[in-house]
Amino acid sequence: MIAIQHLTMQLTAAGQRVTILDDLSFDIPDKQKVAIVGPSGSGKSTLLGLIAGLDRPTSGTIWLNGVEITGLREQAMARLRLANVGYIFQSFHLIPTLTALENVAVPLELAGDPQARQRANELLQAVGLGHRVSHYPVQLSGGEQQRVAVARAFACRPPILLADEPTGNLDSTTGQQVIDLIMALHRDLGTTLVLVTHDHNLAASMERVITLRDGRIDSDQLSYLQHRISDH
Amino acid sequence: MMPFWLTMAWRELRSAWRHFLYFLACIALGVGAVVGVSLFSANVEQAVLKEARGLLGGDLEIRLSKPIGPQGVTVLQGLNERGVRTTRVSELVAMASRVDRSQGAAEQSQLVELKAVESQYPLYGVLRVEPDRPLMDLLRMTESTCRETCHGAVVQESLLIRLGLIVGDAVKIGQASFRITGVIHTEPDRMANMFSLGPRVLVSQEGLVAADLVKPGSRLRERHLLKLPASIALSPLLYELRSRLAGESARVSSYRDAQPQLKQFLDQLTRYLGLVGLTALFVGGIGVALSIQAFIREKFQSIAILKTLGADTKTIIQSYLGQAVGLGAVGSSVGIGIGIIVQGLLPQAVSTLLATDLLQQIEFSSVLSPAALAPLAKGLSLGVLTTVLFSLWPLLTIREIKPAAIFRREVEGDSRVVLQGKPSLRRRVTRLLTIDPIRTLVAAGIGLGLAGLSVWQAGSLTIGGLFIGGLLVAVVALVLAAKALLIVMRSLPVPPSLSMRQAMGNIQRPGGQTLGVMVSIGVGVMVILAIALLEHALVRQVGENRPTDSPTFFFIDIQPDQAQGFLALVHQRTGDLATQLTPLVRSRLHAINGRTVQVEPEQEDQADHTREEKRKNWYASREYVLTFLDELPKDNTIVKGVWWKPRQVFARPQVSVEEEAAKGLGIDLGAIVDLNVQGAIIQAEVSSIRRVEWGNFSTNFYMIFSPGSLEGAPMTYVATAHVSPQDEVALQSAVVAAFPNVTAINIGEVLSAFARVLDRLSLAIRAVALFCLLAGGLVMAAALAATRYRRLYEAVILKALGATRALIARSFAAEYALLGCVAGTIGIVLASAFSWAILRYVLELPWSLEPSLLVMGLVCTVLLTLLVGFLSTYRILGQPPLTVLRHE
Repeated sequence: MIAIQHLTMQLTAAGQRVTILDDLSFDIPDKQKVAIVGPSGSGKSTLLGLIAGLDRPTSGTIWLNGVEITGLREQAMARLRLANVGYIFQSFHLIPTLTALENVAVPLELAGDPQARQRANELLQAVGLGHRVSHYPVQLSGGEQQRVAVARAFACRPPILLADEPTGNLDSTTGQQVIDLIMALHRDLGTTLVLVTHDHNLAASMERVITLRDGRIDSDQLSYLQHRISDH
Repeated sequence: MMPFWLTMAWRELRSAWRHFLYFLACIALGVGAVVGVSLFSANVEQAVLKEARGLLGGDLEIRLSKPIGPQGVTVLQGLNERGVRTTRVSELVAMASRVDRSQGAAEQSQLVELKAVESQYPLYGVLRVEPDRPLMDLLRMTESTCRETCHGAVVQESLLIRLGLIVGDAVKIGQASFRITGVIHTEPDRMANMFSLGPRVLVSQEGLVAADLVKPGSRLRERHLLKLPASIALSPLLYELRSRLAGESARVSSYRDAQPQLKQFLDQLTRYLGLVGLTALFVGGIGVALSIQAFIREKFQSIAILKTLGADTKTIIQSYLGQAVGLGAVGSSVGIGIGIIVQGLLPQAVSTLLATDLLQQIEFSSVLSPAALAPLAKGLSLGVLTTVLFSLWPLLTIREIKPAAIFRREVEGDSRVVLQGKPSLRRRVTRLLTIDPIRTLVAAGIGLGLAGLSVWQAGSLTIGGLFIGGLLVAVVALVLAAKALLIVMRSLPVPPSLSMRQAMGNIQRPGGQTLGVMVSIGVGVMVILAIALLEHALVRQVGENRPTDSPTFFFIDIQPDQAQGFLALVHQRTGDLATQLTPLVRSRLHAINGRTVQVEPEQEDQADHTREEKRKNWYASREYVLTFLDELPKDNTIVKGVWWKPRQVFARPQVSVEEEAAKGLGIDLGAIVDLNVQGAIIQAEVSSIRRVEWGNFSTNFYMIFSPGSLEGAPMTYVATAHVSPQDEVALQSAVVAAFPNVTAINIGEVLSAFARVLDRLSLAIRAVALFCLLAGGLVMAAALAATRYRRLYEAVILKALGATRALIARSFAAEYALLGCVAGTIGIVLASAFSWAILRYVLELPWSLEPSLLVMGLVCTVLLTLLVGFLSTYRILGQPPLTVLRHE
């Protein structure tokens, strides 16, 4: 369960304080599939990053599975992230000096898994990259890179998966493959999934859609309700 | 399972080792300098240890300044009966002159160090002579070959060269002729002095008697060398002899406590060379820090990703530190290889620097032995530890990389906010004020670590502390000066020329590389120039201090019956009536105020002796050369008491004592001193204390007696003579022909020998110092490599906009020259400051500006930076723009 209360994020850019997120409060129950949508600059990615503990908010609290993370020290946060959060970036962010296999193995090794390489290999098989394990990121296509990133995000079977426009840099066919993969893993592992997207069809396929505008929640709808309403 | 940080370190290194070539080179060079010096030092140590008996010439040595007396002879005979082998060695300086084969008249002469030995010589060590025949065969002529020349001599080759002789020719020394029968290659017990007065001539004791040079009061060193049988213990005999020979004013020492001057000298030399080597290693450390800094900047993204994946800062720092250690170890290993090459070359530099071929003398070999393991291990540890210490600071940046870096860059599209770039002044001030405990702790740790390494390398807390303190001052001064210059540059009006603008922009660009490069090159320039400046000052001191009216020659050992004849000869030859004879009487201190002077025997463990005690001991035990004079000598001033009036008569002889000696002996006006002159005691009252200007090139005395008080004592005379350069040889030849026992010392030659030694010494130190400058050049290359991509990109854009290759080359050249100029200027200023401080406070000599040397230093620095810069970046100039831009 993710619980967010009075979350505010301000940044100073060019000497001016800009409010990115303005007093947000909402909960995400376990295993829910949530899309966060909104125009550019509405604070979607910042929100996702704050949930992952990648930065500290100006004020407000974030609870991940009963732990309040905004006050955690860096080391504790790193450990919590390792155990609880998988993160997929729009631009993949693989480590260029590591092979696909090693990239996937990193979180497992950090967690001290003695079978890290073997598990990483299985994961790459599962995302259909069994033949590309020893390739370096530059030797992989965008779609392949994102699939490696997906495998890496799922490696430690985190209860929470955060995906920041995972298809943003991919063509539609490849994007669809990656989405299918994420959905399948979500289904199989019972992960809570929070996904930032511009893609309305993708958002519509989620259980809940939170729309941000200027750092505030514009709407927060459960899609099955929406369906039901439209059914009527 | 391998820990994550280690796995990660290995993976990173696998792909990035090419980035670290400069890193490796920096460490390798520094370690090479350190290892080369310490290998050399270890080999010297070992050789000296092995040859300790040979260096003294025996287990024990009895040393006297006159032939041993009857009491001493009895003692020696007693020793022989107890199974101790003894041999007598007599040493003195003398004149050797060439006996012209056609006329038989002496023409050319040369000051030599004469040594007379007996058949037992040498007791220890090996005397190498060419031809390889028993020494006594060479020194004693058989009846059949003996006509007018009945003695043989083996000589150092330099005598043959200077007098134009060959083996088989004859030389005249004193009253005897000697046939040269061989050439000395190595001589075990020639106490290595910084320089010798002349070539060695080795003769038999019979030969010395025939030469008739040993007169009462002659400058003689007689050594009786002892070889003990296994049944006699060393120390008891040492103390026994000291007490039994007290009346002979003999010094008895064992091979253990007679620390050879040679070893002391080499220890000192290698210690300072070692510190210069450590400086090179530390400069290399700056290169390491810059490489790591650039590497972390490059790995910024990867580190942020690792953090989002849940790696904590500690793990990541461990991983990069692990890489640094690995690279440090590889670099150090390469450095050890360099060190082995350096130590092979160093002995050549050092041995040519000393007139006595002292390394050969101790059978020095640069072959690697088990003893070399310690210096190698030390080099490895120094290399790795230096790497770690210099890596820590840039690695701390990892702490500041927030995982948010990557995603925020995506959000704001502005990487500046993240971390790098220039923090605002306010933030920097707050950062300074709110002390970051970890940074503070690490900084303290690095400081302590570097100090520890210095102390380790110096082998002394004081010297290590002084070294690191001096280095710290230098680095702080360099940083401040570099910063000040950057600020000044920023405030200058923008230059109109595009290439100049580009160059200045490149230097001022934030990122810290410029500062590091300036410090590295500045330190190198400073070390080399400071050494050159010191050498110059010393040589100048010796040369300039010689007053224009200083004598050309010292003549020593003039016998009383030769005095009138000698004076007449010199007056006739030079027309200089100022030449006067000064009487000399050799003596030792017997008692002060009725209390017999106890000379504490030199302890084997001298650590508990303070410097002050050693000094007192030195004054109490030394030989005093006395004279009596009517008038106070030139450059002497009375600081206490009064000088005697002409023809004043005293109840008791009066003596004037030199200020420092009086302090060392603890005597004041009115004190009664008893001096032992060849067995007779002369008592005198101290009537004045004098200050003496020792550097004035005339005869100076610790003790001067009132006229008439030394009558009857055995004495010799010394004289000084002025002569024009073209008459030098003629005068010397005439004196030697007429008075063969009189020794002529040419002051000009002694001075130039001294200058030569200084020059060679300085050369050896500068050779090691060169490593500092090379390391500085490498640091610059490393820094340029780190900014290579940015430079390439800019160059390409400029080209795309229509700039020519020449313009870009010009802007690069201007940048490198500017860099060299700034670093060189700071370097020469600091070198001047350091040499000033050392001259003023350590050597107590005057300092003067050396514009030509400094300008040369500056020009060389600029040439170096230009060279390094172009070697590092010339390839950028040829890049076609499109290929580069397409990859963007």
